[in-house]
Amino acid sequence: MDKQELINKIIESVIGGDESEAEALAKLALDQSFDPLEIINEGYVTGIKQVGDMFESGELFLPELIQSAGAVKKSTALLNDAIKGDTKKDKGKVVIATVEGDMHDIGKAIVSSLMVANGFEVLDLGRDVPIMDIITRAEEFGAQVIGTSALLTTTMVKQQELEKTLRKEGLRDKYKTIVGGAPVTVRWAEKIGADAFAENAGEGVNKIIDLIGG
Amino acid sequence: MVVTRMGDGSFITMTEEEVQRDVEEGMADAVKKGKVEPLGQDEIEHIVEICCRPQKFVSVEKGNELVLTYDSGTLKVTRLGIPIGMPQILQLYERAFSADSLELAYVHYSFKPIKMIVPEEQYAVAETSLVTTAPLLYGAMPNLPLYTQPDGPCPNAAELLPAGKIEEARRGQEEAAEYAIKDMVYVSSGVYEAGADGIDFDTTAAAGDAEFYATLKATEQLKAKYPEMAIEIGMAGEFVLGFHGQLEYDGVRLAGLYPHKQVKLAEKAGANVFGAVVNTNSSRTFPWNLGRAITFCKACTEAAEIPVHANVGMGVGGVPMVMTPPIDCVSRVSTAMAEVVKLDGL
Amino acid sequence: MHAAGMGGIRTAGDLVARMQLSRKMRLNEAKKYVADKLKVSVEDLVDEVVMNELRQELDISTVYAGMGEMSRGIESKFKIAKLLDLEINSVQRFLRKTGWQQ
Repeated sequence: MDKQELINKIIESVIGGDESEAEALAKLALDQSFDPLEIINEGYVTGIKQVGDMFESGELFLPELIQSAGAVKKSTALLNDAIKGDTKKDKGKVVIATVEGDMHDIGKAIVSSLMVANGFEVLDLGRDVPIMDIITRAEEFGAQVIGTSALLTTTMVKQQELEKTLRKEGLRDKYKTIVGGAPVTVRWAEKIGADAFAENAGEGVNKIIDLIGG
Repeated sequence: MVVTRMGDGSFITMTEEEVQRDVEEGMADAVKKGKVEPLGQDEIEHIVEICCRPQKFVSVEKGNELVLTYDSGTLKVTRLGIPIGMPQILQLYERAFSADSLELAYVHYSFKPIKMIVPEEQYAVAETSLVTTAPLLYGAMPNLPLYTQPDGPCPNAAELLPAGKIEEARRGQEEAAEYAIKDMVYVSSGVYEAGADGIDFDTTAAAGDAEFYATLKATEQLKAKYPEMAIEIGMAGEFVLGFHGQLEYDGVRLAGLYPHKQVKLAEKAGANVFGAVVNTNSSRTFPWNLGRAITFCKACTEAAEIPVHANVGMGVGGVPMVMTPPIDCVSRVSTAMAEVVKLDGL
Repeated sequence: MHAAGMGGIRTAGDLVARMQLSRKMRLNEAKKYVADKLKVSVEDLVDEVVMNELRQELDISTVYAGMGEMSRGIESKFKIAKLLDLEINSVQRFLRKTGWQQ
């Protein structure tokens, strides 16, 4: 199988969410001594980007997205192990939570899934999470980014509380913060001093890449 | 220059050409995503003209007025911290606010907590029905996440899915839907027997396809039990999120449906009124959002056989996402919905 | 949204709403049905002057609750049910509760 044919098959396996096929193709790429980084970028990353686009346009849904993400994660782990030295690159660590008092975790689950699919290491703290818990877990996890979701006008103030607490604890410069959720806007993000706002899950991933260069 | 706003409420100025370009781009987004027909040139020009009027408050031409139904009716006053009871709030709506219909709603606007207090709600409905004249609906949200852990008994798909446990997540949602159907039928029966004209299932499908499924099944069961009950199904957004991905109603996969297809299932289930919702993108301009909302709502209205009431308020229908929706935008959306879409109501 | 509303009981908005909610009538059909039953034009349905007078004549509630012997609330709904040829749930319940109907 030539390289282009292999890459096409990888993209196909990612879109189909076929974990075993995606993994087998990663092994084949290594057996044939193709550049692992090129295979990751041209094959798996291209595939998952197409999955993201199909998800955004409603052509496939969250369970399929998760399957595709699983296929990418296992296969790229294999290829990553074969990459030597500095060229090996981790995308970054992200802590994500729905703020205290808010039990809307579906949007956050989508963001979390899409970030995993894009190679981020994600610690998803769930819903109704107190601000201090978010900060403590981010410290333990060694996160670079803290993402919070709020679906209510009454709970979005917790995102402001996070910014204030980070400043008070002297930790603000250590993290990039990103906010989202139905009532949240760029105006709100600017007002509270968050680093970024994301309108939807896809934008969230892109904004985080912009923030930390993942 | 035209003074208008961004979707987050900030004032901006645009030229008339820029307004037209954004209306067309918003329309194109709806056409692409919903696979619906684009607006005609005259309709685009009408929207642009409404956006560009210099008046702060605009309105419809005489004869184009439409019917108003509400969501979270009494809550809108309760949230203001004015300590008056629900029957009195609805008397205000009827006598002071020119409301065409009334909606009674408990402060915790979800069926699950309401089932504990149905007798109290029945009392409020019975009292209100004695002192008001307009049609009276009782409103609440299906709110499926209340049935999932840690707030309910069912496994939580929002935790299971990111962990790759797809089948467990699907079973959890199916289980939650069954609990929701039971509560929706129980509460709705209670308030109908107390004298309400019907029920408003509000913010439907906020939790995705399983929640839409639950609402359609509850509607079907209620119509079998009370054929005269008025049921309004109001959605949460323009798109049914595929959180389960495989659920069907009447042989149609629910995930990924847009308003013009959602309404057909609402009709099939027996709904009397369909509440179309198009979410506002807060990073886009008001003309972009209005062009998009009008395109979706027009396709829905044309496909429908039952009345369609578009949701116009904070962050929906093109109105900016702010706590105090600006009157210049709300009145423009209302006018465009009445005159361009020929909707049945808002 | 009130920029485009019919006007509730100031006009005939409640009656048109009732036809949508009870009979699934689309807007124009509901307006025509109510106008025919009230023996007025469709345009009159949103005219506060015409409708206030007519509502007083028909005794089906106006926004002014204290106008003489005007009916209000459930009293008006009895008349609206007959006028629009409808069964109104709260009226039926009232009849059952007062023993006028089983």
